[in-house]
Amino acid sequence: MKKYIIAFFLLVISFLYIFLSNETGGARVFVNLMTFAGIYGLAAIGINVHFGWTGLLNFGHAAFMGIGAYTTVLLIPHSLGREGVVISSGLPLPLAILIGILAAALLGLFLGLPTLRLRGDYLAIVTIAAAEIFRLLVRDFEDLTGGVYGIIQFSDSLQNSRPDFITRFGESYDISPSQFWVGLLTWISIIVVLLILSRLKKSPWGRALRAVREDEDAVRALGKNAVLLKLQSFMLGAAIGGLSGIFLVFNYGTVQASTFVPVLTFYVWAALILGGVGSLAGPALGAVIFWVIIAGTDSISRFLFESPDGQQLAGVRFVIVGLLIMFFMIFRPSGILGKKEELLLDVK
Amino acid sequence: MSNNLLSIRSLKKRFGGLQAVNVDKFDFNENQITSLIGPNGAGKTTFFDLITRFQNADSGSINFDGKNVTRLNSYKLARLGMVRTFQLTRVFDRMSVYENMQFAGSSITNEGFLNSLIQSSSLKNHEKLLIEKINETLELLNLSDMKNSYARELSGGQKKLLELGRSLMKSPKILLLDEPLAGVNPKLSEQLLQIIFDLNKKGINILMVEHNIDAVMKISERVVVMAEGKIISDGKPDFVRSDKNVIEAYLGSSNE
Ligand SMILES: Nc1ncnc2c1ncn2[C@@H]1O[C@H](COP(=O)(O)OP(=O)(O)OP(=O)(O)O)[C@@H](O)[C@H]1O
Ligand SMILES: [Mg+2]
Repeated sequence: MKKYIIAFFLLVISFLYIFLSNETGGARVFVNLMTFAGIYGLAAIGINVHFGWTGLLNFGHAAFMGIGAYTTVLLIPHSLGREGVVISSGLPLPLAILIGILAAALLGLFLGLPTLRLRGDYLAIVTIAAAEIFRLLVRDFEDLTGGVYGIIQFSDSLQNSRPDFITRFGESYDISPSQFWVGLLTWISIIVVLLILSRLKKSPWGRALRAVREDEDAVRALGKNAVLLKLQSFMLGAAIGGLSGIFLVFNYGTVQASTFVPVLTFYVWAALILGGVGSLAGPALGAVIFWVIIAGTDSISRFLFESPDGQQLAGVRFVIVGLLIMFFMIFRPSGILGKKEELLLDVK
Repeated sequence: MSNNLLSIRSLKKRFGGLQAVNVDKFDFNENQITSLIGPNGAGKTTFFDLITRFQNADSGSINFDGKNVTRLNSYKLARLGMVRTFQLTRVFDRMSVYENMQFAGSSITNEGFLNSLIQSSSLKNHEKLLIEKINETLELLNLSDMKNSYARELSGGQKKLLELGRSLMKSPKILLLDEPLAGVNPKLSEQLLQIIFDLNKKGINILMVEHNIDAVMKISERVVVMAEGKIISDGKPDFVRSDKNVIEAYLGSSNE
């Protein structure tokens, strides 16, 4: 129970900080942060299925997010960055999103089939490499993906579905209505995904994944197909990652190869560690705290440098996030909501 | 071929320059407790690994229950009724004792992704039916009090018991136990031997590796001795005890 009280106070302090440190536009900042937090939280929930539930090390989540995003965006009306080739026909958005999620799951299958039979560390290496290969392919296949210039003008498919009251609400509180809509849908998705996952976690399937996490050989000795279980878990987590990638690019309104750099995966892991590996809602909470801290580091940057440029901002972010992860690993390796007894990140 | 439950021919396994297992012929007769003994490094565990398909043999054949299982996946072999334990105990540390048992007993159908998502009433019924069997087995092994503890919190001996209990949830045809008494105190050893004996009477075949010679001689109807990968003696306990080869290779050193 104590940890929920801690979580509650952390959230209250975070939100107070946002509104007090922004005399004007507090609501705008809040919505911006919460939207990013939702997206990263959803991505972290995917990694949690991999690592927290099954013990699979996925360091290439950006690839799953990316393939989900690109698949969806290419299936709806869009234009390619540099030449401005406009493609004005496409599938209905819900169908495109579904196919995007499926594509991410299939990439999981494709990467998992050869590697999940091998020892755990292989998967970590393969996922790192896969994410970089994905990014470079996206960059170089300019005709399809727009390369570094990316894809633009695909947001209408989503924003056309925005109810009027969201628009009115946004305008009266000086919030970007389109971002508000993306953020709202993201958090609704988190709730739906968590409801499904909580059902799965308690089910025989969820229990089997935990057994795989603990000892694959024992799982085999009891007549269970550990590889199949790992593959299913890998595809499920990848699919959730795909969905988060889709929201990410709708939040930006554009997508380039550089959207899915390795640091994205790193930040998602940071959110997971803060929130608590293995817990259900931990990753989402971790993502909120993570984004408030990111906002905080930007004020530290402004304090350190008179007018910090992008590089300085990124540098300070890196240092602070790194220190924070170290702090958690040493003093609270179970994260905010994780169970101490089921500690997965042992630093001994 | 004979109607043996398990029959093995010219099974070989090499690690670099070391011939770890080199068994010409091994047949398992039903309804006997058979023990496999031999000095450290004799190849007993490797032999178990080969039989249960946890390692691939270099050559040879394995027949189990009338089927050629030489190339079968380990988990499929377990489904056919050959269940093993490990020398270095393998419990699911961060799961409760009860969950360890639940996982062992739950059906593969129920563990299907979709079935677990839908959670039909038959799935729930099956999970309920498990409860009784789990409680009985935990009672038998004196683990009832530890039911809700994490498996990690058990003592070494209790972990051995839990591993045995998990295997029993599979209702195996044959149990391969790798040193079930190692690290178990004398009183509990006594009980455990009785349990193994009773299981055998209930029709579960037992093949076990054990260093506790007194226990082995007391409980086994047949003793097989391995040294340097080969079976050097095979027969009734009394025969093996007085076999010159065995005294030379194994018993002699401990009887001095
Ligand atoms: N994976 C491996 N790689 C190389 N050598 C191995 C491997 N596994 C076992 N060996 C060697 O094979 C031989 C047989 O080992 P095994 O574990 O089967 O012996 P054991 O009879 O079970 O011994 P103990 O009674 O000590 O458990 C040993 O010499 C061991 O060093
Ligand atoms: Mg051994």
